[in-house]
Amino acid sequence: MEITKLKPVFYTLAAISGVVGMAMYFSSIFSGIFLIIAAIVIYYIYRGLLTSYKTAKAEVYSVLKSMLIPLVGIIAAILIGAIIMVLTGYNPVRAYKALFYGGFVKNWSISVLNATPLLFTGLSVAFAFKAGLFNIGAEGQYYVGAMVATFLGITFNLPPVVSIILIFIIGGLLAAAYNFIPALLKVKTGAHEVITTMMFAHIAKYLSSIFIRGMGGDSAGSHPYVTDPIRDSNFLMKFKTIFPSANYRVHIGILIGIGMALLVSYILYRTTFGYEIRAIGQNKDAARGQGINVGKNIFIALLFAGFLSGFAGVTQVIGLDHKMFENLNAGYGWNGVSVALLAANNPIGVIFTALLWGALDAGGQYMSRTTQTPNSIVEIIKGIILFLLVAKYIWAWLGHRLKRWLGKRLQKNGGVQ
Amino acid sequence: MEGILAILNTDLLVATIRLSTPITLAAVGATICERSGIVNIAMEGMMIMGAFFAVVVAYFTGNPWLGLLAGVVAGGIFSLVHAVATVTFHLDHVVSGAVLNILSFGIVRYLMVLFFGHPGTTEPIPHGLNEYQFAIPGLSKIPVLGSMFFNQTPIVYMSFLLIIAALFFLKRTKVGLHLRAAGEHPMALETIGVSVYKMRYLGVLISGLFSGLAGAYLSIENAVSFTEGMSNGRGFIALAAMISGGWTAIGSFLAALFFGFADAFQIRMQIFKVLPIPAEIFIIFPYVATVIAVAGLVRKSRSPKADGIDFIIEREDG
Repeated sequence: MEITKLKPVFYTLAAISGVVGMAMYFSSIFSGIFLIIAAIVIYYIYRGLLTSYKTAKAEVYSVLKSMLIPLVGIIAAILIGAIIMVLTGYNPVRAYKALFYGGFVKNWSISVLNATPLLFTGLSVAFAFKAGLFNIGAEGQYYVGAMVATFLGITFNLPPVVSIILIFIIGGLLAAAYNFIPALLKVKTGAHEVITTMMFAHIAKYLSSIFIRGMGGDSAGSHPYVTDPIRDSNFLMKFKTIFPSANYRVHIGILIGIGMALLVSYILYRTTFGYEIRAIGQNKDAARGQGINVGKNIFIALLFAGFLSGFAGVTQVIGLDHKMFENLNAGYGWNGVSVALLAANNPIGVIFTALLWGALDAGGQYMSRTTQTPNSIVEIIKGIILFLLVAKYIWAWLGHRLKRWLGKRLQKNGGVQ
Repeated sequence: MEGILAILNTDLLVATIRLSTPITLAAVGATICERSGIVNIAMEGMMIMGAFFAVVVAYFTGNPWLGLLAGVVAGGIFSLVHAVATVTFHLDHVVSGAVLNILSFGIVRYLMVLFFGHPGTTEPIPHGLNEYQFAIPGLSKIPVLGSMFFNQTPIVYMSFLLIIAALFFLKRTKVGLHLRAAGEHPMALETIGVSVYKMRYLGVLISGLFSGLAGAYLSIENAVSFTEGMSNGRGFIALAAMISGGWTAIGSFLAALFFGFADAFQIRMQIFKVLPIPAEIFIIFPYVATVIAVAGLVRKSRSPKADGIDFIIEREDG
């Protein structure tokens, strides 16, 4: 077949167009969306040529269909949020206008910055979930990643690209190692990872205070606050170097995150390891029956989840902050749980939910500044979105009720005739 | 060494009881919940709701007893969301719990801005429940044990009574038996005509009421204001206490005492600067203790057979 020979051509075209488009879009050059769409179209043209127009169409439809329930849930949550605002004396129309304008247009760069660590922690939680594990303590591994990046960022004096790659790898590996004890306990004694990783998250938070004190924080005070800055040569590249109009803070971490999402998706759906992970997540006993080594896979899955969360801390330090603050109160680890659940643990979905969460946070700040609506309404809206989306059964239940109600009405009408 | 010996006194044991009270309450509540077959990791959120509403009512009415009631009710109402999600809508128990913890954070922050005008810490309440500390005549004169158990504040006494009540309820009452059956063999229970759904709703509700009381303890008895994040992982430590305690009320209490002791001990180590090392090393002590307890004891304890397993039944009226 000549079509398969053209595969590299199509893929390269789609990749270039997609990466450039995304880089533009994340730099607030919104026309980049056309390049992203072009990349998607190229991909599906190839799929269409490879199989048939019909299968390609079916694939597109199934993707669109999977987006339907999330959209309905989000709209429903927005309506509930509006009712709460009216009841508590705020103007929902003004507030939402500011929320969406602030989050997706005006302060889009802040949204992207918020979304970057969330993307990694979300991927971490989602990946663990696929193996039936709940990495609720992603926050702890995030702290470890941040500490390693700060330490190496201050001490490393190597050519920029080499040192950044090394910081990522070492930060990820040590964050993975931080999950070693929870993973070992899970496999050896069955100690639930919800408790162990959660406790380790609290431990990491306090250990980071000691670390910050040692790295230039206020060593006398009870709060060390902040470390010395890392070396300029260890800063992650910014979009501003390519597009001068981009915000000076936005770094390429989001693209690395999207790359990781694709990689995680590939591992899960195209490799034996991924297949085994998913089999264990669906039914541990059945997986064991198939001859899958459950203990080993669970162990590796928790370590890999730690690795991914570590990247969140690394990008935050070498990309945005360039130093480490005490109590990084942003809660990217905890929010990673939301982002993963919202995406139904689909790695590609996590890209969108992380951006949505980031935009809601950025928009919420803009909203509270311009309309005096409390920022925290955003937290409630996020909670409701989450609740409506994870409780998929609600929709089935409503549908069931509706059918039954319609059925009774029809019966009644039939009786009258 | 002398420093360490100096802090090993009656005060340490009294503090152990005080610090273990919220963990005990949440863990005993969780025991009843999990015995009915519903996994509950939302104690953290239920405690936060209880703690917040206790302060709101105590602040605006000036009466801490009304605050206590509000805390318990708030925990109960919030827990019903977990019951609806897991029992009626068959959502994964752990997922629902995680979502509720996140939701509680948002609700409290929004209401805090609404009621107090700012996030963070609320204004102090005029009267806290700590003003009602009383010694039981006679019993409180017993050395050590007297000041540990019989010279305490109201919710601490309540926690003792509730442990006994929970034991009696689970072992000696018909409803308690049905509730345990819902967690061990739901189909058998349904066959004899008792609704598994109702038992599981009850179990979750009791857990919510207990956690709400635990929250009220944190905010209006152990403190006089509410601070965001004041539960500080205690809901999860309570979960660990329940598991280490082998899904029994007494076991939960003993494990909670151990965690309370770890906390009381580290606070004293910190304050008296017994060892010249950073305070954070001591602060992490209870968390490390929790991991060790869960690691060491979990294999010996057995969870209810149908714990966390969804139960679906089609009824004519349902």
